[in-house]
Formats: sequence, C-alpha cells, structure tokens
Amino acid sequence: MAQTTYTNSIAFGDGNAYCGNTIGSYNTTNYNSEEDAKIMGWLSPLEPDNRHHGVRTNRFEGVGDWLLETREFREWRGGEGGAHKAVLFCPGGPGVGKTHLR
Amino acid sequence: MIDRLCDQAREGDLAVAWLYCDYKVQQQQTLINIMGAILKRLVGREIPEDIRKAFEEGRRPVLADLMGMLRIAIAKLPQVFICIDALDECLPKDLPQLLESLRDIVRESPGTRIFLTGRPHVSEAIQKYFTRVVVIPIRPNEDDMRKYLEMRLDRDEVPEAMDNSLRAEIVGVILDKMSNMCVCETPRCEIYTY
Repeated sequence: MAQTTYTNSIAFGDGNAYCGNTIGSYNTTNYNSEEDAKIMGWLSPLEPDNRHHGVRTNRFEGVGDWLLETREFREWRGGEGGAHKAVLFCPGGPGVGKTHLR
Repeated sequence: MIDRLCDQAREGDLAVAWLYCDYKVQQQQTLINIMGAILKRLVGREIPEDIRKAFEEGRRPVLADLMGMLRIAIAKLPQVFICIDALDECLPKDLPQLLESLRDIVRESPGTRIFLTGRPHVSEAIQKYFTRVVVIPIRPNEDDMRKYLEMRLDRDEVPEAMDNSLRAEIVGVILDKMSNMCVCETPRCEIYTY
C-alpha cells in the first residue's frame, strides 16, 4: 500500500515538517510498503523534504544567484580538491537569507 | 541551492541530502535523528538490505549503525551533497559530534561535498574538524533586495494606485535606506530573507 512518508513518523511541530497544512499536498514520496514507511520512520522522525517545501514557497527566483557564480562555489561544486575542499560554509547574520539561497 | 543541486540530481550524477536546523525543535534534532534524516534522503525509495536487517533486529539505531549504513549508501552513489542549514541552531552538545561525523564521511568518501550555513561564530567549531573550509559570506546585496521589492510591489493590493514612477521611487528610497543601515541586526532585516 502506498503511504506518504510523514504519516507514521512525524512529530507535530518538527521544524523539518514545516507546517501541517502544506505537507499533505506536497509530500508525494511514496514508499513501496507500509513496512518501508516504518523503516524510514525508524531511521529518523525528521522530514526535511517538508521543511524544504516551505522554504521554496517563500523564496523567489533569482535571489542568491550571485553565489552560484562565484569561483569558490564552482570549485567546491566541481569537487576539485577532494576531501581538502569538501566543506563550503556560508556565514551570515540572522535574516540575511542563508536559508533562501537559491 | 538545494533545488539547483536537485535539478542536477535528476540527471543522475549526484544525490542531495539536506536538513534545516531549528532551535525551536532542537530537542528532536538530535545527532541520531539528523544522521538518520540524511541517510533517508540518500537511500531514496529502495531500502537497502543492511538497513532492513538492522530494523528487523528491533532496537533503536545508534550513531555507529547509522554511520555504517551511510558509508554503504554513499559508496553506491556517484556524488553526494549534504546540506545543513543554520548549524548554530542545532543542539550545542551535538554539534561537535555532528561535525566529526561529517568529517568521517568525507574521509571515507572524498568526493562528498558538505554545504553548511550558520551565524559566523560556528566557523570556529567547523574549523576544528575541517582544516580547509571554503567560506562565502552571505550579505544581502542590492540586486537581491531589488528583486524582493519588485516582487512585493507586484503583489500590491491596490494596483490602480501604482504607476512606474511611484514604483521606481519606492524601490529607490528603500534601497537607499538599506544601504545606510548597519547590516542586519534589526528585525527589519527579515525583509532580506523572502
């Protein structure tokens, strides 16, 4: 039986669930069986997909494009440097838009 | 950025896992739950046999279990991106071990890319585990603010009262004020995020 991922696993108020009234319409990731959904809930009760949907709804096109154009980003993205350049950190004060980078 | 990576993931050459830390639900965002959430994303719909077996054993997974499962899952994927937003909002007691776990993943699979955001002070913690970090500070730039303002003006509830010159004036005045503001320590700065 197809089942949405959050049904068995989500704790209400989980920040990665975002808000209850949007998750039902968005989360279409179906597992192959009820058992699979249980296994996923066992791995973690967090559902980052749902929070991501909330972020996506609040964001608008084009913001943060400059970041993707930087040489630093491209080098990191391209995997040059292997483990030595594995981490990209974007620091910013509260509210500068870190979460909403496109 | 997650969307950009996901677009590329659809083409099949990479996998993306993400997590948004949130201090309001810190207690649920334990290290175990975070690593489990990353694993879930990377596994997708086809649950591997090792995870199925561990589940059938009937006990809660511990970090070592999840790290083992992650290692197996990552090895099957061409390239993996792990994105964690607002690292400063994760449980302070779990942050060192979270970074250590990410470091272990990278050591095992050097192609893995880790994308982190957070307030500037977390960089100290990050640098304890990663000697080299690519840092790109996020500052609201004029272009982003202009796009935001244009979008809000498009949603104006009284469009008949708006014309191009008023529009230009509003955008100009706000951008001018913004450029004189100290960067983002006031609630007004939330404007930048949407």
